[in-house]
Amino acid sequence: MKSDSTLRLALAVLLLSLQTACKDAADSAADLTEPKRYVHSLDGVPASLDPAQAGTRYAKFLVLNLYDTLYRYRYLARPYELAPNLAAAMPELSKDGLTLTIRLKRGVHFIDDPAFADGKGREVTAQDVIYSLQRHFDPATRSQGAWLWQGRIEGLDAWKDQGSNYEQPVSGLRALDRHTLEIRLTQPYPQFVHTLAQGFAGVVPREAVTAYGLELGRRAVGSGPFRLQSIDSARARLVRNERFRQETFDLALEGFDPERDQGLGLTALDGRSSPFIDELEVEFIPEDAARWSSFYSGLTQFTKVPVAQFGQVLESTAPPTLKPELQERFQLQAAPELGFVYTSFNMADPEIGYSEDPQRNARNRALRCAIVKGFDWTQRNQRFFGGIGEVFPGVIPPRLPEYDPEQDRGSTEADPAAARALLAAADWDAGNLPVLEYGFPASVTERQLFEQFRGFMEAIGYPRAKIQPLSYASFGDYYRAYSQGQVMLITSAWTMDYPDAENTVQLFYGPHRAPGANAASFDDPQFNTAFSAAATLPPSPQRTELYRAANQRVIDECAAITGLVRRLVLLWDRQVILQPDWAFVGGYAMRFVDLRDPAGQR
Amino acid sequence: MLGRFLALRSFYALSLLLGVTLLTFALMVWFGPDQTYELIGRNSTPEQIDELRAELGYDQPFWNRYGHWLVELASGDLGLSNRSGESVSTLLRRALPVTAALVLPGFLLGNLLGLAAGLWAAWRRGSLWDRLILGASVTGLSLSFLVIIIALQLLLCTPYGLNWFPARGWRMDSLGAYLLHVTVPTLALLLVTLGYNTRFYRAVAAEELQRDHVRTALAYGATPLSLLSGPVLRNCLVPVITRVLYSIPLVLVSGSLLLETYFGIPGIGRVTFDAISSGDQPVLLAVVTLTAALFVVVQLLAEFACRLADPRGRLP
Repeated sequence: MKSDSTLRLALAVLLLSLQTACKDAADSAADLTEPKRYVHSLDGVPASLDPAQAGTRYAKFLVLNLYDTLYRYRYLARPYELAPNLAAAMPELSKDGLTLTIRLKRGVHFIDDPAFADGKGREVTAQDVIYSLQRHFDPATRSQGAWLWQGRIEGLDAWKDQGSNYEQPVSGLRALDRHTLEIRLTQPYPQFVHTLAQGFAGVVPREAVTAYGLELGRRAVGSGPFRLQSIDSARARLVRNERFRQETFDLALEGFDPERDQGLGLTALDGRSSPFIDELEVEFIPEDAARWSSFYSGLTQFTKVPVAQFGQVLESTAPPTLKPELQERFQLQAAPELGFVYTSFNMADPEIGYSEDPQRNARNRALRCAIVKGFDWTQRNQRFFGGIGEVFPGVIPPRLPEYDPEQDRGSTEADPAAARALLAAADWDAGNLPVLEYGFPASVTERQLFEQFRGFMEAIGYPRAKIQPLSYASFGDYYRAYSQGQVMLITSAWTMDYPDAENTVQLFYGPHRAPGANAASFDDPQFNTAFSAAATLPPSPQRTELYRAANQRVIDECAAITGLVRRLVLLWDRQVILQPDWAFVGGYAMRFVDLRDPAGQR
Repeated sequence: MLGRFLALRSFYALSLLLGVTLLTFALMVWFGPDQTYELIGRNSTPEQIDELRAELGYDQPFWNRYGHWLVELASGDLGLSNRSGESVSTLLRRALPVTAALVLPGFLLGNLLGLAAGLWAAWRRGSLWDRLILGASVTGLSLSFLVIIIALQLLLCTPYGLNWFPARGWRMDSLGAYLLHVTVPTLALLLVTLGYNTRFYRAVAAEELQRDHVRTALAYGATPLSLLSGPVLRNCLVPVITRVLYSIPLVLVSGSLLLETYFGIPGIGRVTFDAISSGDQPVLLAVVTLTAALFVVVQLLAEFACRLADPRGRLP
């Protein structure tokens, strides 16, 4: 027993000595240079840094810091507001709403890179913007963002059909001079300027694409606030782009709200020129426990708190507040995500969706409505989203101007008795109910979500054996399956690309049917008419009415079990001056991050 | 004689490489994830899906694709990762040193300590020491690698334990940073390999210790240390060399897979895991080919090393 204790003591002393020695050595090495470094964390890994492939939140986050876009979102303004970025001003729009003239800032340069003839980054011109849009329509680019401009810019689709020859001009994309760009649209597209603020719209020099081809996904030759130093599957290291244009940070113009932003230290930024940090390190930590440990032990300075940790972090959930013992070290933001989770029915499946037989069609609708009625959003919210998510009816989530707070919430309230009555009225019983196939990419959480769903359905009288899981090895496999109409119930989460209801309502637009974003293949003439009419209108009461009418059709036809907006709990070190944003524009915040004092530097 | 041996070995090596790559290629093509839907954007049309499939070469017949890949391989081009667009050679050049630095301390310590413990247990065969060492080895063998990793992480790397070491990440910018990051993975590797190694080395040494020359040496007054580190170890070298060399490819790829995934280390294991889960065929094929090539090299090295260790051995 004694020797056992001695052995344990010796081991502990050995480990502690090793740890102290390593830490001292590591710290002294770090002390030699004292760059102002901020360490962020993300819960996923970006696959590619090519703006054309910036389809994920993680890729967008980095791309927006490495490349310039014509427009960006103001740092603190909510609702979101567009602001010029590489563009000198907001676009000049012709009276018919079809021609935009955009002037670029002068003297903006790409970073130095061997891809340029003399290794020196040249000035960014209007031709670069045109090239960057064109390459989305070149199959060799493997673009994930072409859909933003498909059928929208005059001559661009035809240019692709003719072989994507860059020597051939596109009639709708013209450089009037080195710094002025003219874009002609095929029809009014009120969301167009939003598309120019996406990671997909990052401006790329042709020389870099020629030199690196697909390898541009692991290099970055942009004119953004940071340069890429290194990237692997664990982290990316970015350093300040010394040639980034000097622009004065105007706190008021960025949307500062003294009440909301109190105590964040943002006033210290006013009048200075960004970026404020020398190094931006982004740790990719998909594992919740490891991400939390890294943050808590100070390895990272920002984290999205996993739902499993809510109990240890939050004092209360309504509203979310931080535990007193954590308040000294950390800042908290519990912001709703821009997007929502929902489950749609495959309307192309005659077992549950559209049927040529009118009677079966009506019975299928009743079946879907019964399932919607049997679904308990409150329980789902409690079990999987920490009880702080926001449940809403339809596909227009709260905080969008088109959201109707007065809308009937019946479609989100569980009523097993009403569900059973609906089934009985449509002659559904345990014997003739179809087998429900519920799809999901393989993971423990997804399986738990399915089991909860199965429990809800059993409560409305659905036989357990008739609710089957369809598990797929990867998201790609799952995506393929539901795109090919092989999944009856499709669970999804939609993260908005821009803050406009068009981006969520289009999820049920007939022509966008699978393999497009309308995975449900919902095809309702009334919906389609309302959406088509609204799509070309600028924000207005008329457009709001049209979108609300379309939204009501999704609810009336019971095309989906929807929806819940996740509220994300974000924590960051108090030494960091930051107002974070986990939404599509999250990357833009990094150019405005600062550290309070040398003690906050690592 | 040597020429015939090398020709035969080259033939075996080439057959092995072809067989392994063909099997992997077939599995990836017919059963692996289809990357089209990982890479395609939102709101894609059937035409865009077809375009991407053509870009990825999915529309080509199997033998064309395999033949094309073999031609590229023969010219030293491992292609580009479908996922990131990065050159596979660059990817491997970056990941391999990380893995080597990660597993080397654990591998060396695991073998050296295993050898020492095995020799000592064999020498004290039947004693309390022997039973203790064997018991500890069996316990080590019984524990899952995953359980060891999670337990060590909780104990040494989290605020719920001692929180002495980083829970994840990798740095080699200074010796201190390297040691800080490599310690816990090394402990995990050590714990999981020590049991296997000790039992193996004990068995080999125990057999050797029963031989006449050992009894004679003891009768002449040889000390345990001189005996174990001298003739016994020398005579055990053939199985020791074989075991050490043959475990290199396994440790490099499969051993590091769990470590790198759980500790967020950008080495070859993580690269392999990502390639498998995303269906990145060029990367996975390169890793499989590399592993097979490593086996071939190890096999050759083992034969030569064994010949050196025991001159009685003959090359076929």
